Amino acid sequence: MTASGSKSGSGWGSGSGTGSGSGTPGLSSASVSASASVEFRALRRTFGRTVALDGLDLVIAPGEFVALLGPSGCGKTTALRCVAGFERPDSGAVLVDGKDVTDVPANKRDAGMVFQSYSLFPNMNARDNVAFGLRVRKAPVAVRRAKADELLALVGLPDHADRYPHQLSGGQQQRVALARALALEPRVLLLDEPLSALDAKVRVTLREEIRRLQLSLGITTVFVTHDQEEALSIADRVAVLRDGRLEQVGTPAEVYDRPATPFVAEFVGTMNHLAGQVTGDHVTVLGQLLPVDGPVPADPSVDVLIRPEAVQVVPADDGPSEVLAASFRGASVRLRLAVDGGEVLADVPGHEAARLGPGARVVVRLVERPVLVAARTVTVPAPVIPADAV
Amino acid sequence: MNRTRSRGWLGALPLLAFFALVFGVPAVVLVAGAFTAQGRPSLANLSQSLQGGYLNAMIGSVRLSAVVALLGAVLGTFLAYAIVTSRRTLLREAVLTASGVLANFGGVPLAFFWIATLGNSGVVSGLVGLPSGSLYTFWGLALVYLYFSVPLMVLAMAPALDGLRPQWREAAANSGATSWHYWRFVALPVLAPAMLGGVVLLFGGAFSAYATANAMVGTVVPLVTLKIASALTGDVLVGYENIALALSLDMVVVAGLVMAIYLPLQRRTSRWLH
Amino acid sequence: MAALTGLERVSGADTPRPRRAWWRGAVFLLAGIYFLVPLGTAFWYTIHTPGAGVSLSAYGELLTADGFVRSLSLSLGLALATIAVVLLLALPAMLAVRLFAPRLRPVMEVLCTLPLVVPPITFVAGIGTALRGGTDLLAPTPFWATLIAIQDPGFPLVLVLAYVVLVLPFVYRSLDAGLRTMDVRTLVEAARNLGASWPYVLARVIVPNLRSALASASFLTLALVLGEYTVASLLGYQPFAVWIVTVSGSKGQLSVAVSILSLLLIWLLLLAVSTVFGKEKGK
Repeated sequence: MTASGSKSGSGWGSGSGTGSGSGTPGLSSASVSASASVEFRALRRTFGRTVALDGLDLVIAPGEFVALLGPSGCGKTTALRCVAGFERPDSGAVLVDGKDVTDVPANKRDAGMVFQSYSLFPNMNARDNVAFGLRVRKAPVAVRRAKADELLALVGLPDHADRYPHQLSGGQQQRVALARALALEPRVLLLDEPLSALDAKVRVTLREEIRRLQLSLGITTVFVTHDQEEALSIADRVAVLRDGRLEQVGTPAEVYDRPATPFVAEFVGTMNHLAGQVTGDHVTVLGQLLPVDGPVPADPSVDVLIRPEAVQVVPADDGPSEVLAASFRGASVRLRLAVDGGEVLADVPGHEAARLGPGARVVVRLVERPVLVAARTVTVPAPVIPADAV
Repeated sequence: MNRTRSRGWLGALPLLAFFALVFGVPAVVLVAGAFTAQGRPSLANLSQSLQGGYLNAMIGSVRLSAVVALLGAVLGTFLAYAIVTSRRTLLREAVLTASGVLANFGGVPLAFFWIATLGNSGVVSGLVGLPSGSLYTFWGLALVYLYFSVPLMVLAMAPALDGLRPQWREAAANSGATSWHYWRFVALPVLAPAMLGGVVLLFGGAFSAYATANAMVGTVVPLVTLKIASALTGDVLVGYENIALALSLDMVVVAGLVMAIYLPLQRRTSRWLH
Repeated sequence: MAALTGLERVSGADTPRPRRAWWRGAVFLLAGIYFLVPLGTAFWYTIHTPGAGVSLSAYGELLTADGFVRSLSLSLGLALATIAVVLLLALPAMLAVRLFAPRLRPVMEVLCTLPLVVPPITFVAGIGTALRGGTDLLAPTPFWATLIAIQDPGFPLVLVLAYVVLVLPFVYRSLDAGLRTMDVRTLVEAARNLGASWPYVLARVIVPNLRSALASASFLTLALVLGEYTVASLLGYQPFAVWIVTVSGSKGQLSVAVSILSLLLIWLLLLAVSTVFGKEKGK
């Protein structure tokens, strides 16, 4: 578990597909003066008996886009709110640009925040919402107006300055909220599940735009989400949290391909649980012997964790396994297969799927590479398949 | 026309007919009577209703209602804020229920409560040596009216205060705003329509109150409702009935003006808070 | 008259609250003094007679007091009749407008707001004049008998009519709020699609979903009618509130005792409404 593997230098945005490699908007004055590093140091916060943060350590480099990922109640939002100053940690510290800001009041911090939803002031139009921080700072009206209009253009809403929040769609509201968070040119941008209240399609477009904007501004960004796909697709690094602790931090590829713990493996992407038997540093699963990656439980009867794309399916009239269902997912097809002693999910390329309709007999093989094993979670030998997986 | 439209009319017809008869006829009679003197169309009643003792009564009513509305609104808002921000749900529920009861408690029983407390032979007036008749003054009446006005304001403001989202305070702080900035630029503007609506509600309640004032026999405060009642029942002189109608018309005009502010404002709040 | 019962609030209790409790304590303390002292002293007044000491005789006297039972039962009867009439008139009208004639809605809204602009005393001025004029005007026609009948002092229907108008704005607002929380059109279409008749839809689909709105409307009506003094006294009838004033001249303690009981009654009614019908709001 590497807690502080901060990358140095440039090269952000290598990890994942933002979809658009397109150019950055050429708005020089909207650029941020300098972005700052953010560091969580042994952060601990409890609410009554609930432990929200249990000694969180994490370093985020200047200009980096880090997603805090985890199930609800894992402490990710609390961590973000500690940076914004809305929560005070019981112990530990938050450092921005190397300076301890734990005791700095929320309205004196240098971090713009976008909330989950409904955070726009309902009595102000989009322009006044964006310009609010400048109004508090007593900036001249003309300056406020110019800056707000520029930011609204930056988030793609140049014609909506006079609209009130209730006249804007959810996605538009979040764009305005983003513009407002950037209005004071903060050195850190905090996003608290900004997309979770939006429609699936808007969610994807907007997340790509957030990423594009972040890259062009070079602003350090902490993005809280419970959606692993969202985290993997836009972050430089993903920090997976569980019960207030850091489970793993790494690039999206690292977290997906080499999950440090069964929890991460389970939470990120879809996983097959297959019954296996450990001998030495190898495990027998579906009649194959595969090397074990990571720690081995004391009990040799284990769950072997296998990604659907690591399952290969070959049609064979006398094959021991059978296709139960196939669902089309664009480039690939996900198959649900009956194998010896249970079911397994497999992703196969679309062009191979033609002969793999329900009822087809097949041979199932696992890709030869090290696999994670976990203590047996179920007594029944059947693999666990999430209900929504097929 | 088409069938659905006619069904709509059919369902609404009984209410419309009822309304036309029970509300419309008296309204027409009232207006007609106000403009009639000695059997002929005339403005005499109206002009008389805006002079001398009648004018004083109207001014007294408006002053009392305005004082009760403003004081009640401020006190009620504070109380509502204290309730809404309180973490003790039991206290919160208790105060809201009590408000529901007291806001609907007015009229005669209310007057008797205060007579027993601060009246000339009241329990507390004896203890503190209150001069006789103190309760029957302008401020005494205001004190009594606040007993149902403050709870009403609490009920009007509690949902609006509940509607203030914590994100707004945090978003404001995130933009560098102090608590003062937040109240000045966000919370008060958002609450303003509900508050004004509450003020209007309180004004209307105090303005049209008759039972309480009437039960507090000996009140020296001139009030238009008392004047109307005495003109209606006192049969001091024949023809005074139409003065009562003219005074009533004056009251309706005042209440209508106040209501004309209230309704559009109410629509605005509900739009903001959803 | 109040427009609210406290049942229509929305709850935001799930958000963390700021601390600093001292000012809140002060507010609650002051409010407590202001609201509880008159209650306490009024009760003391009813049980304590200077020179004679403490006794509950004022409450014992109640049941035997001349006119108590008669006026209270008259008020209750008027209240029930008012609730029945106003709901039977308003609910079908509001549903019909919602379902079939949305364009009538602004008309309904204006109509149901108008009585708010009319203080009860002005309304009674109009009614009184209309009744007197009407009796003269209609003397030669059969309507005359009707007009006389509704003014029967035993059960003055004219009060029910007047009260229906006075509570209409509050009933309208309660029901409107209730109807807003559900998609009436879809509910009705779904029920009709499943073969339900119109009366069945009304009784089994609409009304159960409107329970708390109906309860709130009924409570407001009940509280208003039980405490109503202006219209009844000026039209010369003697329901409960008028009776208290009449009796107060000779029996001060008794009238205050009745006042306390009527406050208790309102509280019990509200409690009943909120416990029976308030529960579903939590879901």
